[in-house]
Amino acid sequence: MENNFIPLQIDFNKNKALVKRYAVKWTPTIIILDSDGEEHHRFVGFLPPEDFIAQIILGKGKVAFDHDNFEQAIQCFQEVLVRYPKADAAPEAQYYLGVTKYKASHDPKELKLGFEALQRDYPSSEWAKKAQVYSLIP
Amino acid sequence: MMEGGVVMGKQIQWEASLTATKAKAKKEKKFMLMDFYNDL
Repeated sequence: MENNFIPLQIDFNKNKALVKRYAVKWTPTIIILDSDGEEHHRFVGFLPPEDFIAQIILGKGKVAFDHDNFEQAIQCFQEVLVRYPKADAAPEAQYYLGVTKYKASHDPKELKLGFEALQRDYPSSEWAKKAQVYSLIP
Repeated sequence: MMEGGVVMGKQIQWEASLTATKAKAKKEKKFMLMDFYNDL
């Protein structure tokens, strides 16, 4: 983790300005930010180790995605799927993998492939529902 | 799991200032992981 992130801990009761700025209502709240302080991913609550790490890698991928660094984003999303396929972050990683491949290639087929992977591996996830519309792509 | 400042058995060196952390993140080309905690 130290290779990619600078960890910052904020006392919820002592730093009301940051609590308000990032609209934090419960702890722990973990937020992944870029070096400008812009938020790209968050999750709330204590997680088991594998789910925690999967969320961190997912967040790293979403920072890369938001910065149009599609190659790095794809690596991160694939890492979640390969190393933590049972984590709660995995369906979202699969969704963003399809979206990122589409953004990188402009080939709508990638969205449909992403949906098919979600339908196959995570059919009951909200991300499979969100990708349902891509099944209509010819 | 992050508990007591430890993730997966490794002790974390936490920063406490957003401003200082932003500067460090820019210099080292890294992202920030911000943890809002509450000592109950």
